[in-house]
Amino acid sequence: MTEILKVSNVSKHFGGLTAVNDVSFSINEGETVGLMGPNGAGKTTLVNMICGSYGVDSGKIEFLGKDITKLPPWKRCKLGICRTYQIPRPFPELTTIASVCVSALYGKDRPNRSLEDAMTEATHYLEFVGLFSKRNVLARDLTLFEMRGLELARALATQPKLIFVDEVMAGLNPVEAEKAVRLIEHAKDQFGVTVLWIEHVMAVLMRAAERVIVLHYGEKIAEGPPKEVADNPMVIESYLGRS
Amino acid sequence: MEFEVKRERLVLRAGGGKWEWHIEPRYWRNPLIFVGILIVAPVIIYFWYPPLLATVIEANLLAAIAIPLALMTIGTGRMNFGPQFYIGIGGYAAALLSIHAHLSPGLTMIAAALGGLIFGFLMSPLAIISGGLYYSLLTLLFPLLFLEVTYIFTDLFKGDTGLSSTPGAEITPLVSTGSFSLNLLCYALISLTIMLVYLFIMDKIFRSRYAIQMAAINDDEEVANSIGVNVNKVKILSFTIAATLVAVIGWFYAHYYQAFSGQVFLPLSFMLKIFMVTMLGGRTQIYGCVIGGYFIAFLEMILIRTTGDMSPVLFPIILLILLLVLPEGLFGLYRKRHYREYMPTLRFRR
Repeated sequence: MTEILKVSNVSKHFGGLTAVNDVSFSINEGETVGLMGPNGAGKTTLVNMICGSYGVDSGKIEFLGKDITKLPPWKRCKLGICRTYQIPRPFPELTTIASVCVSALYGKDRPNRSLEDAMTEATHYLEFVGLFSKRNVLARDLTLFEMRGLELARALATQPKLIFVDEVMAGLNPVEAEKAVRLIEHAKDQFGVTVLWIEHVMAVLMRAAERVIVLHYGEKIAEGPPKEVADNPMVIESYLGRS
Repeated sequence: MEFEVKRERLVLRAGGGKWEWHIEPRYWRNPLIFVGILIVAPVIIYFWYPPLLATVIEANLLAAIAIPLALMTIGTGRMNFGPQFYIGIGGYAAALLSIHAHLSPGLTMIAAALGGLIFGFLMSPLAIISGGLYYSLLTLLFPLLFLEVTYIFTDLFKGDTGLSSTPGAEITPLVSTGSFSLNLLCYALISLTIMLVYLFIMDKIFRSRYAIQMAAINDDEEVANSIGVNVNKVKILSFTIAATLVAVIGWFYAHYYQAFSGQVFLPLSFMLKIFMVTMLGGRTQIYGCVIGGYFIAFLEMILIRTTGDMSPVLFPIILLILLLVLPEGLFGLYRKRHYREYMPTLRFRR
């Protein structure tokens, strides 16, 4: 399998606080990798660094063999990296179709694409996440579950190779959570994307991920198949504390 | 050529072409009707009461400043409180070149636009490095700094009195028919043309694929950046284009009054008027800017005529009350009634 993402010894400090310390891992094409850890472990900071929202203090990030450490977020997106957010960040004043349309227009370099073409493509992604009937609703008027669906549609419309799903379960009831998991699995099958799934809920990653990486206080403490990681004493200790 | 009146539409056939014009009330939003009214109105006023044309010119110019400002606001996702800086650049460039280099208005317009372009481009990084209150304060500061500069270099800018035509060193008028009223009519039509051209350009931009990325930046620039929008490029472009267009209004002021003084255009009072046009018109709604421009210009004129010395006090009070009563602006009243008619459903509300 081709290596799609390689993170080598990345670190990030905020003043005196070390958010991510010397973390290295790689992701292969077509994989679903889980990234887990307790609150404040540095999961979202790590994703922010890979997506370009935060600069990297030290280390190197490679995507499909290309060094992207210094690239701005929009260039990384055009290469094929996209994400959803832990707390949904829709464009509140835009309709859902317009929100997805932005991704369809600018997610990849398609200079001759018209607004109408992008709108047509956006409807396809809205249909996929079940929001076609709400295409003319302002994004701020959607429910939390719908906002998560919109974020997924917006990310998929950039035609990514690698997608970061950030704590999709947060705030969802069990039925919605189940739907969300199925939606992401379906997206992986239909669009052939590689998924890095950041999650608190162990059960979800046990089911969906092929490999899990665990962070604790900004450091990688475990990596491997979900079952193996779940039995790792360091992981148990980081989640439950020392007895 | 064949003209046919059908039940719900007018049909014109000429050559191989066919043009249809729906006359049902729901199609009366045809912009050509409003353009027609705006063109005919100055002509009627010319025959009825020519001095009123000065108010029409002022209204057109206020709208023509507010329209590019809408582009700047939406494109950068920030409110610029100093558009009059570019009026100053355009006005002084036109006046100085006209007086000292005796350039024709056509050439001074190019110089004014170039001045706006260069200064707009130089200032545009402000929209990248600063945001929120800091951006507003910085943009507010630049016209006042420019005003100070005009006082420091009094020999060049003539300080308080400003640049004006003197024998042998004239600011060439745009129109010189020999009749004061006819001059006013010509200026009204020229200012209207500028305003309509700006409106047309902005309408095209706001309906294009470029508008949708501006709207995304307006809502959340970090997210826009993460889905492939080159935020910095959009900000610089929209800032620079708007600054260039506003500078051309400065050029018009200089040739219209045959004088230009920073004391008139650079202080906060003029900015307040532009801000009110934007807000009362309907918060960066380009069509709202036209309504706002006419409303503010005529309200100011009526207050000056009816209340005299009290008008500088009453004017802002009335405007503040209107802002509280109409948070969506005058155009918002129309939008509320015709909400469902909007296609496509892209909305730029801020």
